[in-house]
Amino acid sequence: MHHVVVERWSRLDSFLHSLDARVKFGALLVFLIAVSTTPVTAQLAFGAYAVLLAVAALGSRLPLTGLLSRAALVLPFTGTFALMTWWAGNPERALALAEKSFLSGFAALLLIGTTPLTKLVAGLDSLGAPRALLLVIQFLYRYLFVISEEAQHMRMAASSRMGSAVGGRRMAAGAVGVLFARSSERAEGIYQAMLARGFQGHYPMAAPPSIMPRDAIFFASTLVFCAAVRFAL
Amino acid sequence: MHIPDGFLSPSVWAPLDIAALPGVAWVARRARLETEDRSIPLMGVMGAFVFAAQMINFPVGLGTSGHLVGGALLSIALGPAAASVVMTAILVVQAFVFQDGGIMALGANVFNMAIAGVLAGYIPYRFLNARWRTGAIFFAGMLSVLTSALLALSELWVSGVRLPNDLPLWLTLGLFVLNGLLEGAITVAAVGAIGRLNPTWIQQPEPSNARAKAVFASAALLLVVFGILLASEAPDAIQRLTNISLPEVSSAWLHKAGAGLGGMALIFVACALTSRFFARRQRSA
Repeated sequence: MHHVVVERWSRLDSFLHSLDARVKFGALLVFLIAVSTTPVTAQLAFGAYAVLLAVAALGSRLPLTGLLSRAALVLPFTGTFALMTWWAGNPERALALAEKSFLSGFAALLLIGTTPLTKLVAGLDSLGAPRALLLVIQFLYRYLFVISEEAQHMRMAASSRMGSAVGGRRMAAGAVGVLFARSSERAEGIYQAMLARGFQGHYPMAAPPSIMPRDAIFFASTLVFCAAVRFAL
Repeated sequence: MHIPDGFLSPSVWAPLDIAALPGVAWVARRARLETEDRSIPLMGVMGAFVFAAQMINFPVGLGTSGHLVGGALLSIALGPAAASVVMTAILVVQAFVFQDGGIMALGANVFNMAIAGVLAGYIPYRFLNARWRTGAIFFAGMLSVLTSALLALSELWVSGVRLPNDLPLWLTLGLFVLNGLLEGAITVAAVGAIGRLNPTWIQQPEPSNARAKAVFASAALLLVVFGILLASEAPDAIQRLTNISLPEVSSAWLHKAGAGLGGMALIFVACALTSRFFARRQRSA
């Protein structure tokens, strides 16, 4: 499945991969705030943000075309609204909408493409995010592909039994019901397996490593660049 | 409707992010207090289930098909607090892993879908279930989607992302209502199928008393009307309101932030009051 690509990217090695997850998350927030508060007319600033992202993308050693095409996933939604804004008589805002959402999406992709989700979650945990939510996110992500594949197997099985007769509201409802049943059973099985392995009601969370000088330099330079672009251009 | 980054103005996403953080922490604490340790893997797998269930197409005639959104289904199956946590987890994974919805807009999306949407999906089920089960589930699905969509539209509107003037508001609202009807019908079918397989998978709220219907109707009406109001007129109304309370605010940014925060606080107070009212009535019953 295509989303495994991001996971594979996140396990490669580069300067951006080696940085602390919290620092990358903080830098992403700085960048997103700067982009969001930039006036819609400041085309030069958007160009400067794009340069910063290009440098970061080079530092991540991820395939540029893959990054660009995945970041472009946001464009159909954005494009619809941009067209409507254009139609409403505000072409400047329409252009800025598309630029802002693409830049923001690309930046977020650089974070997730260079940080395994477990490290990101551990970083967010040490920043004080609700533990229960983070645990649910981890379980969700771990079983997302398992349950999705189950759904695809069910669809394949149904179409091999019935050919083109597959469809209909009752059948779709039945499929949702069976998928719910299997998910519920799987959750129970997971819990039993956890108990069997000695689970005692406490979920351990990996302690994040300490912040290195290069982390501090990365964060400071992102902050300075974004502030300079935001206020000078 | 996941709002990406770049759409909301800082005066909209900032207060919503700031409000969503303690809101999610509170809901997460509640979900964990209400349930045992086994609920954490259950909530995670249920989130994965909603992802997968969204890939199943429900034919709706005329060659088109829709899919489940799932907020109401989750709140019916897991209860509102756990459903909120699961929806929040889904939104976080969609924003980070699938680039579906923004990071700065996460607070807005969480508020629209995981808090207001789940609550709007739970109220009809909780108070109508004993009298008219199918209707309760239908309205749960419909109100959940409608509330989220209207809130998203309002937030975009306040941010200055407006629909063209020659596109009539009733057309947009009509599309939203159509979406709501669809989610209602799909939720009824899905909950029915799950209940047939194992009735204990669906939480059965205790039967409520005679006034429940009236209370539910007014709460639902409040949510919907407030959304429509906010979408069409209320930016000004709320601005006027915050003008009165904060006359010395001169900066346009602060003013807009105040308006956003004020509108959100109004919805929060409305929701808190209704739930408080329900809780008290339940205790006395």
